[in-house]
Amino acid sequence: MIGLILFIAIMGYTLRRSGATWPERFVNDAFGTVQGALYRPVGAVAEFFRDLGRLSDVYKENEVLKQTVARYTQDRVRYNKIESDNKRYEELLHFTETQKQFYNYKYLFAQVIASSTNPYDKTIKILLGSRDGIKERMAVITADGLVGLVSSVSEFTSTVMPITEMDPASPDVISISATISGKEDSAFGIIEYNKENGVLQMSKIDENAKVEKGDTVVTAGKGNLLPKGLIIGTVLSNQVGDYGLTHTATIQPAAKFDHLYEVMVVVAPDPDNP
Amino acid sequence: MMTMRMNRTIVVTLALLLLQTAVIPWLIPSAWSDRLLPHLPFVMTVFVAMFAGRHRGFLFGLGFGLLEDTLSYGHMIGAYAFGMALFGYLIGLAAEQRSSRTLALLLVTVGIGSGLLDLLVYFIYKLFLLTHLPIAYVVYWQVVPTLLLQTFAGLLLYLPVRRWFVKNVAAAKEEANA
Repeated sequence: MIGLILFIAIMGYTLRRSGATWPERFVNDAFGTVQGALYRPVGAVAEFFRDLGRLSDVYKENEVLKQTVARYTQDRVRYNKIESDNKRYEELLHFTETQKQFYNYKYLFAQVIASSTNPYDKTIKILLGSRDGIKERMAVITADGLVGLVSSVSEFTSTVMPITEMDPASPDVISISATISGKEDSAFGIIEYNKENGVLQMSKIDENAKVEKGDTVVTAGKGNLLPKGLIIGTVLSNQVGDYGLTHTATIQPAAKFDHLYEVMVVVAPDPDNP
Repeated sequence: MMTMRMNRTIVVTLALLLLQTAVIPWLIPSAWSDRLLPHLPFVMTVFVAMFAGRHRGFLFGLGFGLLEDTLSYGHMIGAYAFGMALFGYLIGLAAEQRSSRTLALLLVTVGIGSGLLDLLVYFIYKLFLLTHLPIAYVVYWQVVPTLLLQTFAGLLLYLPVRRWFVKNVAAAKEEANA
């Protein structure tokens, strides 16, 4: 009975808490080292065999990549022009130094070293910690899109909670505000994950916003939590929400959340101490 | 009377925990990665509870449950520590009523135990409003596949455990006397 009370107290205490105590950090780091030594070679072997199986697709993939590179080169020219224009306008409009640095993100590459087997806490672990400048609630992405947020940090390793774990009705929720790429000023919504169907949902969209199938959903960057413009997924459908006043869109996540090998942590410049 | 070589068992269980978090996720295909979530330390907890008694089962389950919770800390710590300690104790208690330790009995215990543990963890997360999945879906989607996989893991671990970790105190005494 005392044990039961004690455990409920521990669970309740750890439910909404930031920062990790030293035993947690120690356990995470000690295990992280060995997990890293295991996870990476095993992953390399698994990837190798998967690649062998897809050898026939390589030719097709190469074609697609060539086209992508060609498009990228064109975009690069445009990007350079827009960037220089943008700088000029910022000068003209007398932007402060903080405002200029606002979207200057750094990307840190991180090895994935373990993934949890707890069905309600499916976190992954990465081999970057507070020593490398990782802080809680930083965004974690792959080349495809947003994976999750850093949930706890140790010296050498950190734990990442995927966006699939972020239930808007749970008590320790972190809401992700999202918008549609190209319609940033009209469409806003909150991202949640539907575990039963394996899709994301974007709720509370204004009914006048035109959200259509195939639109790209990106983070809105409101509330200074997530950086702006990280890809979340593509819209599958859009229908009237629960109360009839707003719309809810179903979204196919862009990133995959298992068999991860390498991820990137997005470091946004801190407005409080630049 | 049987007991276990606890030092060896703990080292091997740590190795199994590493295997579970770093190797097994690669072996499970993407489509099944939400469904097959084995907990090898729990299988070992069942063995410890059966062979070494309820107190050791309790402490073993508590320790490794807490370790697993800490390693996968996202929402909260304590669900698996509580569940594994509870079932370590209960299985040990039930096993002390019986003298035989057959393979079939062990596998049934691992199966039922892991099913109940997953349900208990589900209810704990439900209690704290961290999950909103209906129970029928959880049982079909995750509990039953995991239960089958854990029973299989129990089958694989049975022989090594029997051979290297369990020592028969009565038999050893007889040998010493003879």
